[in-house]
Amino acid sequence: MSLAESGAAYTSVRYSPSRAGDTLEVRDLTRRFGERTVVDGVSFRVEPGQMTGFVGANGAGKTTTMRMIMGVLNQHGGTVLWNDQPIDSGARSRFGYMPEERGLYPKQRIADQLGYLGQLHGMQRSRALAQAHRLLERFGLGERAKDRLETLSLGNQQRVQVAAALLHDPVALVLDEPFSGLDPTAVDAMVGLLREYTARGVPVLFSSHQLDLIDRLCDALVVLDQGTVRLAGPVDQLRAARPEQYRLVCTTDAGWTRGQPGVEVIDLDANTAVVQPTNAQARDHLAREAAARGMIEFARLRPSLGELYREAIS
Amino acid sequence: MSHDTTNHSTAASHAAADEEQTASVPAPWLTVMNREIGVKLGDKAFVLSTVLTVLGIIGFTVFTFFMGERTTSYTVAATDDQSLAVVETARDAARPGTTIELESVTPEEARALLESEEIDAAVTRGDGEWVLTARTAMDGTLSGMLSDAARDVTAQQNAAEAGTTTEQLAVGSQVETRTLSDEPDRGVAANVLGFVFAMLFYTAAIIFGMAIANSVLEEKQNRVVEILATAIPVRHILYGKVAGNCVLAYAQIILYGAVGLLGVNVLGRAESVGWILEASGWFIGFFVVGFAAQASIWAVLGSLASRTEDLQSNTGPILSVLIAALLVGLFAKGTWLSVASYVPLVSSVAMPVRMLTDTVHWWEPWLALGLCAAFGLLMFRVGERIYQRAVFQGGQALTWRKALKLER
Repeated sequence: MSLAESGAAYTSVRYSPSRAGDTLEVRDLTRRFGERTVVDGVSFRVEPGQMTGFVGANGAGKTTTMRMIMGVLNQHGGTVLWNDQPIDSGARSRFGYMPEERGLYPKQRIADQLGYLGQLHGMQRSRALAQAHRLLERFGLGERAKDRLETLSLGNQQRVQVAAALLHDPVALVLDEPFSGLDPTAVDAMVGLLREYTARGVPVLFSSHQLDLIDRLCDALVVLDQGTVRLAGPVDQLRAARPEQYRLVCTTDAGWTRGQPGVEVIDLDANTAVVQPTNAQARDHLAREAAARGMIEFARLRPSLGELYREAIS
Repeated sequence: MSHDTTNHSTAASHAAADEEQTASVPAPWLTVMNREIGVKLGDKAFVLSTVLTVLGIIGFTVFTFFMGERTTSYTVAATDDQSLAVVETARDAARPGTTIELESVTPEEARALLESEEIDAAVTRGDGEWVLTARTAMDGTLSGMLSDAARDVTAQQNAAEAGTTTEQLAVGSQVETRTLSDEPDRGVAANVLGFVFAMLFYTAAIIFGMAIANSVLEEKQNRVVEILATAIPVRHILYGKVAGNCVLAYAQIILYGAVGLLGVNVLGRAESVGWILEASGWFIGFFVVGFAAQASIWAVLGSLASRTEDLQSNTGPILSVLIAALLVGLFAKGTWLSVASYVPLVSSVAMPVRMLTDTVHWWEPWLALGLCAAFGLLMFRVGERIYQRAVFQGGQALTWRKALKLER
C-alpha cells in the first residue's frame, strides 16, 4: 500500500504521479488555555503513505493538536516538523485540512467556493473547477455543483467539505473527524479516496471516535488522553507489544484453567476462557491440558485497536 | 519560504510535482478582493439599491430641471433712490422665467416686511457699499442678480461722475449680504450639497461597512476562516475585504456622480453647476480617505462578534460617529463646523461643507485629510492585530480590549 515500505521490487514501477511523501512530525507540542494545559508535550510522527488514526475522548486535545499543526493556533511549546524541518506557511498551504467545525460558505454556490479555495492555494481557477467537479463526481454530487451549499443535506455538505480539503492535491492530510456524518457509501468513497493519497506517499492524520473504522483503516495509531500521548506507533508493533492472549473453548466447563502454572485467566464464561500465558512453555502446557479435557478451540486473539485504545486510557 | 524546499532523497520528483501543482500566490489579497467584489455584485439587494439610487438621481435631476423652468418671482424692497435703480436694473436684466417685483419703502418698513416674509430681500445703499438684507438666508440666484445690478449701477454712476479708470469705476460697488438673524448662515448651496455629501458618505459607510463586518463574521461563524488561514496569511483576508469594499464604494460614488453629471449635461444646464464640481472635488478626496479610514473598524467588529445579533450592539460607537458626520453635514455651522472639520471621519463631510460656506486656508483641508489618513492607518494597524486573533475565537462576543489581550 505504501511506497515507502514497498522495497526494491517497486522502485522501478512507480505509481503516477510519482511521489514519495514526506513525514509530518510533532515534537513536545504544548498548548495552554489560561491555566489549563490542554496539550502537554505531545510527540508523534505521521509517516509518508500511512494512515494514522488519532483517537481520544472528547476534550483530550486532538482538535487543539491538529489546529496547531495547521498553524490556526499557536503553540506554547514544541515544534511541528515537515520533512524534518520546522514547518512554514508555504508548506502548510499545500496541506489538506478539514477543521472540526466544518467551514464553507453556506450561501455560495459549491463550484464557486471550491474554485475560490483552489485559487487561494495557488491553482488556476479553471484547474480548480475541473478538480472540484472530479471530486464532486466521485461523491455523486456532480449534478449539484451549481447549487448553494446550504441547500444540501448535512451529509452532502460534509462531502463538499472533503472535496475542499483534497482540492489542491495536498501533500499531507490533516482531517478532524472526516467520517462523522457520512453514510456507509460515503465512508467507502472517502476511504477509497484516502487510500489513493496514501498510495502516493501522502501522510494522513485523521481523528475519529469510530474505533471499528480506525481498526479497518489505520496503519498507525496515536492515542491521546488529557493532553498527553498514551500510545503511539505502527499498529503491527502496538499489537505485537501486547501480551499474547488465547481463547480456549472446551466441551466442559473451562474453570480448570484457573490455577494452571504461568497462565493468567482474563475472562471466564462457562466453556470459554480467555487466557494469557506468560511464556511459550506455559502456553504449550495449557494446550496439552486442554486437549486432554475436550478442547474444541484454541485460538490466538488478535487485539482490536479498540481494545488497545481502552487499555491505553484506562 | 519556498514551497519547494526539500532535502528529501527524491527531491527531483518532488520539484516536478510541485511545478505542475501550484505556483505560490504572489498577492492572495487580490483573490480575496475579487471574491468580495464578485459576491457583492451578485447580491440582488445591493444591485437593486444601486439601481434605485441611480433612478433617484435621474429623477431628482429632471425634477430640479422642471422646477427651474417654472417662473420664479421675487419681491425686493429698495430703501432709497440708488437702491431703487439697482433693483430696477436687476428686474430689467432678469432672465426669462424670473421676475422681480419692486417696492419702495423706508428702512424700517423694509425690516418689518422682511420679518413678515412679505419680501425676499431689501437693498440699501450704505457707506460706500451696497447692503443686501434677507431674513434668514439669501437666495443665491437673487443675490447674484442684485449684485450684478449693483455693480452696473455703481459703474454707471462713477462714469457719470467722469471717472475713467476701471478702479475708479468700481469704487463703492462692494455688495454686502446680511441677514436679520445674527446666526451665521450656511446658504442654500451649502445646505443642499451638505445634505448630498452627508447622505452619500453615511450610506456608503454603512452599506459597505456592514458588508465588511458581515463577510468577516460569516467566515468566522462558518469556520471558513480556518481553511483560508491554512492557505494564505490571515491578514491578507482582511486586506482583501477592505480593498474590495473600498473599490465598490468608490465605483458606486463615481457611478452616482457620473449619472448626475450626465443628467445635467443632457438637460443642458451644465454651466450652472460648475460650482458643484469644484466643491465635489474635495468631497471625493475626503470620501476616499474617510471611507478607507473606517473600513478596517468594521472588519474588527465582524471579527469580535460571534453571531449576527452581536453586530447590532457592537456597531453602536461607529454608527454614532457616522450619524454625527451626517448631522454635521446637515446642520453644523460656525465653530462647531470648524471643529468638526478636523475630527477624523466627521471631517469627510464637515470640511467640504465648510469649504462651501467659509473661506478656509489652503492648508486646512490638507491637514484634515492628513489627520483622517493617520487615524485610518492607526485603525488599520490595530484592526489587523485584533482581527488575526479574534477571528479564530468562537463562542462569545469579544470586546476590543479582550481581543487585544488574546493570543492565537
